[in-house]
Amino acid sequence: MLLSITRILSVPALLLILTGCERDEPTSYLIPKEDRNVTMPGAVAEPTKQAPAASGGSMQVLPGMEQAANQTGEVRYTVPEGWEELAASGIRKANLKVTNANGSAELTVLAFPGDVGGRLANINRWRGQIGLAATTPEALPEFTESYTISGHGGLYMRIDGGAQSILGALLPFHGNTWFFKLLGDSETVLANETAMKAFLDSVQLPDDNH
Amino acid sequence: MKSLFKFFSSLKLTVVLLTFSMMLIFFGTLDQVQYGIWHTQKLYFESFLAIWAYPAQAPAYDQLFWLRIPMLGGYSLGALLFFNLIAAHITRFKMTWKKCGIFLIHFGLILLLVSELLTDLLAEESQMPVDEGGRSNYSQSYRDNELVLIDRSHPDYDSVHAIPASLLKPGKRIDLPNTDLSIRTISYYPNAEIGRATNGAPTDSPATRGISVRMGLVASPKAVTYAEGEMNTTTAFVEVLNSEASLGVWLVSNVIDERFPPQIVEAGDNAWEIALRFQRQYYPFELELIDFSHDKYPGTEIPFNYSSEVKVHHQDSTKNQKALIYMNHPLRYEGFTFYQASFANQDTTSIFQVVRNPGWLLPYISVLLMGLGMCVQFGMHFVGFLKKRR
Repeated sequence: MLLSITRILSVPALLLILTGCERDEPTSYLIPKEDRNVTMPGAVAEPTKQAPAASGGSMQVLPGMEQAANQTGEVRYTVPEGWEELAASGIRKANLKVTNANGSAELTVLAFPGDVGGRLANINRWRGQIGLAATTPEALPEFTESYTISGHGGLYMRIDGGAQSILGALLPFHGNTWFFKLLGDSETVLANETAMKAFLDSVQLPDDNH
Repeated sequence: MKSLFKFFSSLKLTVVLLTFSMMLIFFGTLDQVQYGIWHTQKLYFESFLAIWAYPAQAPAYDQLFWLRIPMLGGYSLGALLFFNLIAAHITRFKMTWKKCGIFLIHFGLILLLVSELLTDLLAEESQMPVDEGGRSNYSQSYRDNELVLIDRSHPDYDSVHAIPASLLKPGKRIDLPNTDLSIRTISYYPNAEIGRATNGAPTDSPATRGISVRMGLVASPKAVTYAEGEMNTTTAFVEVLNSEASLGVWLVSNVIDERFPPQIVEAGDNAWEIALRFQRQYYPFELELIDFSHDKYPGTEIPFNYSSEVKVHHQDSTKNQKALIYMNHPLRYEGFTFYQASFANQDTTSIFQVVRNPGWLLPYISVLLMGLGMCVQFGMHFVGFLKKRR
């Protein structure tokens, strides 16, 4: 009888030991190269096609950021002819869409506090989105120009990425940075450069600082 | 010893334990209102002792705030019932053909108790969001976080060094495996509010490097939320040390993710990206989402079907396969089960629940055994009854 009891007891005891073994500890492992535009000393920044879906795609809005984005106020602008206005949502200040026979493109307007990593980091982030390698500060004048938006000095850029392209502008504005980005099929994007500039010219940001 | 055995084999104990189980389920259900299902499960069923406190929202809380009811938790009750059933079996049941039905039922029940414990200990659940046309080779936990330092310098692979967030205790120093680095936690908040320091106000951020300094971000602790659909902004200030020299203090948080420029730790010629993120599990295969459909009844917003057409790309291409995942039709692949869990981004992202449960077959077997046992037992009675009538 005693033997059978010890046998019975041994089963849960074994299970308890098993739980004890499952302890958290630091680990180290290798993964296939991820698409993350990081300039590291000695690193070869080569975008791969294995983009993890969670990055960029799923829009999970940071609690503090939405609040901060809301503090930047509303933007006023004129919708260029033939463009379609979509509802602004979450941290997007404005959202427009343009479609032509060759494809479509979407314009988003965002604002964040601070310099959000600086000019170069943001330009490289955009370049990464259309599959281009990171650029250097010296190469910037080749595709950027200064541009005045809502009475303040910003930076306009034309990033031709082959299948997809970006016409964009960065605007440091009283402690915040505004991002204007038209991203989509290259032929649609590049054909709408005049409209994009007209849009930027029409932008009026709330300004209580003057 | 004998009296102990007598105690365990008593049927009175069975009745008492079943009553306690009902109590546990009743109070657990009450607490689910404030804690949500996951936390309640931890408190009541995956514990040895549970204490129910009079809820603050209930009427007459002012008079009854002191009321506490301690009760045996799920583990204690499960273990006691397990011993009770086995001890009762040894003392009462003789293995005869007449009793084999009862024996099967009881064995099925024991197997069910064991399988529940196994599921509880071994099953892992995580989420995998995939964009239409995109692929993913990892899934992430809903609740557990990890601090990672990633070395992306090699052209063919990235090397990840991960520390589970449960080890981030203020003041504690942890060596990072396979590097010369170690991490010291300055502060750790299971949930926090991250915001920008208002102009002029003193910033009490201990960070000396990274996004906190660049954007003037500060973190203040917040109560942990258990509500479904809400996430905890797990945040920490960590100091990175290279042997004995401090490389700086960084603010890391699971909301400072891929949408932000990476935070870099540099030591000599080496560099690591530092981040706190939901714990990830990588697979030797990639799941590609070909198409996600979200069908609605015509003219309404009421959904009648969600489905995801996927293709699995394995490193060993003979294992590639296509599948359609929809309600009650998960994809079972390499010991993992992919369920259709949710969707996002105007129906262009599908979210799968990935479950690994080595004991998933046991409940089926135990239910089959119990059913068979009942058929045998009642069948024998029925045959006996028919014989008597003749």
